[in-house]
Amino acid sequence: MTNILRNIKTTADLVAASMLAAMSIVFIYQIIGRYFGNAIESLMGIDLATSWTLEILLTLWVWLVFWASAFCLSERDHIRFDTLHLALPRKVQRIVAALSALAIAGFLAYSFLPTLDYITFYKIKKSAILRIRLDYVFSIYGIFLAALVARYAWRAVAFSVPSLHNKFYQKVD
Amino acid sequence: ADITLRLSTSATAEDTRAEAMEKVFAPMVSSFADFDGHWGSSLFKQGTDLEAIARGNLDMTITSAQHMAEFFPEFSIFSAGYVHRDYEHQKAVFNADFMDDLKAKAEEELNVKLLAVSYLGNRHVNLRTEERINTPADLKGIRLRMPGSEAWFFLGSALGADVTPMAYGEVYTGLQTGAIDGQDNPLPNDYVMKFYEVTKQIALTGHLADLNYIAISNKVWNSLDAHQQAILQGAANAAAEYASHQIIQKEADLVDFFKGEGLDIYTPDLDAFRTTVQKAYLESEMAESWVPGMIDQINAL
Amino acid sequence: MSIEFSLCLLTVFVLAAFGSPIAISMLVGAIVYLISSGQDIALAGEQILQGLYNSFILLAVPLFIVAANIMNAGSISDRLLTFCKAIVGHLRGGMGHVNVVSSLIFSGMSGSAVADAAGVGKVVIGMMTKDGRYRPGYAAALTAASATIGPIIPPSIPMVIYALVSGASVGYLFIAGLVPGLIMGAVLMAMNYIQSTRHQVVKEEAVPLKELPGITWRAFPTLLMPAILLYGIYGGVTTPTEAAAVAAAYALFLALAVYRSISFKKLVKVFTESAHTSASVGLVISAALIFNYIVATENIPTQIAALLSAMDLTQFQFLMVVNVTFLLLGMVLDATTVILIVVPLLIPACRELGVDLVHFGIITVVNLMIGLITPPYGILLFVINGTTNIAINDIIRNVLPFMVVLIGALIILTALPDLVLYMPRLFGYQG
Ligand code: NA
Ligand code: NA
Repeated sequence: MTNILRNIKTTADLVAASMLAAMSIVFIYQIIGRYFGNAIESLMGIDLATSWTLEILLTLWVWLVFWASAFCLSERDHIRFDTLHLALPRKVQRIVAALSALAIAGFLAYSFLPTLDYITFYKIKKSAILRIRLDYVFSIYGIFLAALVARYAWRAVAFSVPSLHNKFYQKVD
Repeated sequence: ADITLRLSTSATAEDTRAEAMEKVFAPMVSSFADFDGHWGSSLFKQGTDLEAIARGNLDMTITSAQHMAEFFPEFSIFSAGYVHRDYEHQKAVFNADFMDDLKAKAEEELNVKLLAVSYLGNRHVNLRTEERINTPADLKGIRLRMPGSEAWFFLGSALGADVTPMAYGEVYTGLQTGAIDGQDNPLPNDYVMKFYEVTKQIALTGHLADLNYIAISNKVWNSLDAHQQAILQGAANAAAEYASHQIIQKEADLVDFFKGEGLDIYTPDLDAFRTTVQKAYLESEMAESWVPGMIDQINAL
Repeated sequence: MSIEFSLCLLTVFVLAAFGSPIAISMLVGAIVYLISSGQDIALAGEQILQGLYNSFILLAVPLFIVAANIMNAGSISDRLLTFCKAIVGHLRGGMGHVNVVSSLIFSGMSGSAVADAAGVGKVVIGMMTKDGRYRPGYAAALTAASATIGPIIPPSIPMVIYALVSGASVGYLFIAGLVPGLIMGAVLMAMNYIQSTRHQVVKEEAVPLKELPGITWRAFPTLLMPAILLYGIYGGVTTPTEAAAVAAAYALFLALAVYRSISFKKLVKVFTESAHTSASVGLVISAALIFNYIVATENIPTQIAALLSAMDLTQFQFLMVVNVTFLLLGMVLDATTVILIVVPLLIPACRELGVDLVHFGIITVVNLMIGLITPPYGILLFVINGTTNIAINDIIRNVLPFMVVLIGALIILTALPDLVLYMPRLFGYQG
């Protein structure tokens, strides 16, 4: 079980790293294509079109943020204030964490279907240059929401049951 | 008032379009509607206003033919080079019978009712290079910045330039440093964005008489009684007239201003540009999405 | 303020105060707002998605993060540290001065404070805290404070946005930022000097003079980077945003080919870590974008503007009222939001009172950049916390003295329009 989870995490990390590497490459291509494009075309006959780069960069950026937030980031990787939380007694910390997780899971779950409706609405519109359907581009946000609901629902349960909490969270939080 | 009309658009609060809506449109509809204008894409990001109306989250917007074409490719004809001649021609096209089907489609499928057409200015090529541009061939190798969508890219390529994308906010620096050789916009935009500070010439190519549509949610429109609808339609027409004539006036004044700033302003071989650009459009995939015969109907007006 | 908006803020503060991620607290707060005001709940996702998908300038953030991580992993920043130590390290508060000066140089390459803090900022914090030279909180605070200079010295993305809504000249705005940027650097260095005297930070050993050429030579390819980026931007090869990618590529080139200090396995690790940091920073920025929508819907800036015009003020009084307002808005709002929504409401008042629009632009941008380091919503605090794991409270405590001197600089700039307009006038500005 833990092995499978670890493999999934490694794969997710690799995907996120590849998306960021791709962004770097596309950016460099864009600079070369615009600045040296004419010279390269007249010397080698290769046309370095740069019309599609912006759109790919923005799509990769959206996917990187929500993919990594859904599958790669643990609670402590996020930007957060934890001073007040850590000052509380151990037991109160657990109760507060369970209640917060329950509230987060609840509200995100409540927003899930309307958000899905918004994403699927975009089947009628395609991106400006590459003509990629925007519901595909935005689908990562639906996946992100679902992953968050699952994660916080699990957190709420684990923080309510001391044995589960001790097993899974002691070393992390 | 009975209702609030919430508008969101990319035009800034300083823009003529904002002025027209706040000073002309809002007072005319005040007997039954509060106008609540949000400028500079402060409510919905640029290019997402139509979706917001479709989903019932927004009442009004000022949109472009390019944005309409993202949903209805037939609208790409109004963003094609050398199709509209001027504001009067734009109005004639907008009110022509052949527009009815397109308008109805937008109302049914997107909940967007187009109220009026507003003139945005004639787009001209503005360059930091010194050598004059007389024909499309002279634009070869010139890195011309265009807004980032397929329709704009096509237009730039049809003009003969090497099209490159760049965010609007980066264009000034791009021109200053030579990352791009030029850009195309109506003269009032060149003035507001201070492009004249970092360029040397404007070739009055007039390749696109640009337009905007004042649009309202079809649901909101249908909730009004006939009297209110008449008032609102009149207000939209008046706002469009006001904004358009402001721009026509500015275009006339700015030629002298730019000359005073030391720019070379001249009219190139327009026949050469028009012929090349129209040919490119008619041979393109884009023209396949146009309503058959509409280009001739537009030219005949 | 409406009940719905109060509920929303309460949700955000309670969740965030008890340790939930800030981005997720904001997202949940926005959902609470939309539910209670009876709006489409999908608007939360709409704003967060479209905000990221439409903000091209944000793309510089992940690339500067990559560049910084490569420099760290590839021992490039170590060489820079050796060089800096040799030059000013023996002075009192030397590494702190290096932090400010490097920010000034990097300001000339980037138009965004967030990119500065996420990129060079992270490297400099690593240099300052290595072997316990400076406390992490102090290093992070000085880095946050000096990153505010980024968009004051040209190029500057906020100034382009200001020019768009005010009609002021981008060219003159850029030039006008030069002197204020240097003043901000000077007051930060002065405060660093004072604090170093008080806290007795570790002084670096003076490096023997004969070792200097060797150290400089080894650091030379690294020192070349600012020059390459500057040439890239001012020579017209790249846009300011693309400079981030050049920085990353050049750092990779140094690490792989010149210093041969990075393995493929390590490179994968660098990109994975950078992806994590980029995502957590990107998520906070995009969640903040939902608040642009809520604040605009509530018409809060309009209410503040109405309050302002009700008072009958002189030019200086008006600017000071604006300063206080912007400082307060900057505590809870993003700079771009304030420029796009609030500034247009103040331009007519400026014209009436004869306030110069270039001067006003500089004050606005300096002020809003200070807002980037003011709690509770200071994006630079979050970014540095996100990239280094230094506790937010620790950064906030240490940033206060720097905030005070920056506000001092802001008051000087407000009172002396001639100082701000000196450079633009040299270049022919008629104002
Ligand atoms: Na800068
Ligand atoms: Na710094």
